[in-house]
Amino acid sequence: MDDVVLHYQPGSAVRLSCLLEQTEKLLEPFTCRPPPVFSPWFPTVAAEHRLPIRPAKPAPQITSAGVTLTTTTATENKLQTGNPIISAETQPEQTEEPLCITETPNHLLPVRSAPAVSHREHPGTEGDGSPVRRSWSVFTQKGVLLQKSLSKHFHRLVSVHRLHLRQRAKWVITQQNCRDVEKVWRSLSRSVRSSGFPPCNANIRREQAEIWVFCDVLYSEQVGRLLKDELQLSGRIHLSVHKLGTIFSM
Amino acid sequence: MTTLTRQDLNFGQVVADILCEFLEVAIHLILYVREVYPSGIFQKRKKYNVPVQMSCHPELNQYIQDTLHCVKPLIEKNDAEKVVVVIMDKEHHPVERFVFEISQPPLLSISSETLLSHVEQLLRAFILKISVCDAVLNNNPPGCSFTVLVHTRDAATRNMEKVQVIKDFPWIVADEQEVHMKEPRLIPLKSMTSDIVKMQLYVEERAQKT
Repeated sequence: MDDVVLHYQPGSAVRLSCLLEQTEKLLEPFTCRPPPVFSPWFPTVAAEHRLPIRPAKPAPQITSAGVTLTTTTATENKLQTGNPIISAETQPEQTEEPLCITETPNHLLPVRSAPAVSHREHPGTEGDGSPVRRSWSVFTQKGVLLQKSLSKHFHRLVSVHRLHLRQRAKWVITQQNCRDVEKVWRSLSRSVRSSGFPPCNANIRREQAEIWVFCDVLYSEQVGRLLKDELQLSGRIHLSVHKLGTIFSM
Repeated sequence: MTTLTRQDLNFGQVVADILCEFLEVAIHLILYVREVYPSGIFQKRKKYNVPVQMSCHPELNQYIQDTLHCVKPLIEKNDAEKVVVVIMDKEHHPVERFVFEISQPPLLSISSETLLSHVEQLLRAFILKISVCDAVLNNNPPGCSFTVLVHTRDAATRNMEKVQVIKDFPWIVADEQEVHMKEPRLIPLKSMTSDIVKMQLYVEERAQKT
């Protein structure tokens, strides 16, 4: 330590000793106080335990089980005779409850006032607002009277082709069914927004001048009738399924 | 054989593609094997040269695809630590948790043989284990549903932006009750070690399911 020089006014010995005492005190090293242990204001356990993330939307629930139309009896008949026979037991509208889809209510998401239209937007593919390939989906059955019955002819077709009632089928509307495909597309979009159709989705193929309407096999007859009535289509519209192609016309 | 870092050849994307494809197959199979959905909506398909069951229900398929589409960026960046398929009872309490623990090496030795053949064989073994796992698990109560939880290496909130890939498919932090399970029983199913990814699958099963 360097020397410390004390400057004072002479006159009083008492005052000098007092000054020396004060100076010594000032030159004493500071007392070291150990810092207190840091404790976070949030619980340590929670900090270590990180909760995972999950989709806010719940998985779809399929509340009641449905089975394919082709039962053992029908299969056996087909094998034995080579000609499929539709037994009364295989009629789904009487004996089997079709699959019913309900979505678990989600309290974490705002209630959608107009759930009929759902535009899926992925980064990189969206944003241009191009009407070239607009599509929509309907998940609500509100306001639609779903007919669970199939006509005998259609029921036979379903059995022959061994289709699942929840398999998607496609109605194709072409220029032969209407004069202006764009006009039909607009009115179809309006109907869908107002939940006028059972669960289905569609898109317009402008390069082919066609409208494709996808729906479950179970509702395809009803959808076909609705399409013809509401859109005032002329001629026959065709229903096709994946791999098989056109299976039904109306 | 060449040694590459994660930045080379967009390695993370390759791993994410492989894993998400596998997870899609695995989720469909778990839902079938554990009877979360009626068997009528499933169809037999072939993947990794073995038969698997895949849902043909468009809404469910879309949900799974959307989920994995969002998870992919996390796997790509090596931010996902665990992907958990949780089967929940009617009260939304977990009864089973299929935990896929994933880790990716910072350096890798890569070749076409490594990527295609060896990894496929390893993933096939996972699929085969899942398809027979009902033999070691107790039956689930009726009315079960499922969700997918993603445990991130970092705090979940930091990864929220990465996972919000689809506009109308938001993600949230899971509730405590969705994560914790009373008296779980641990059933290891399969583990794999490859040059591009390490993964282990185990099931946590609730002791009292009903």
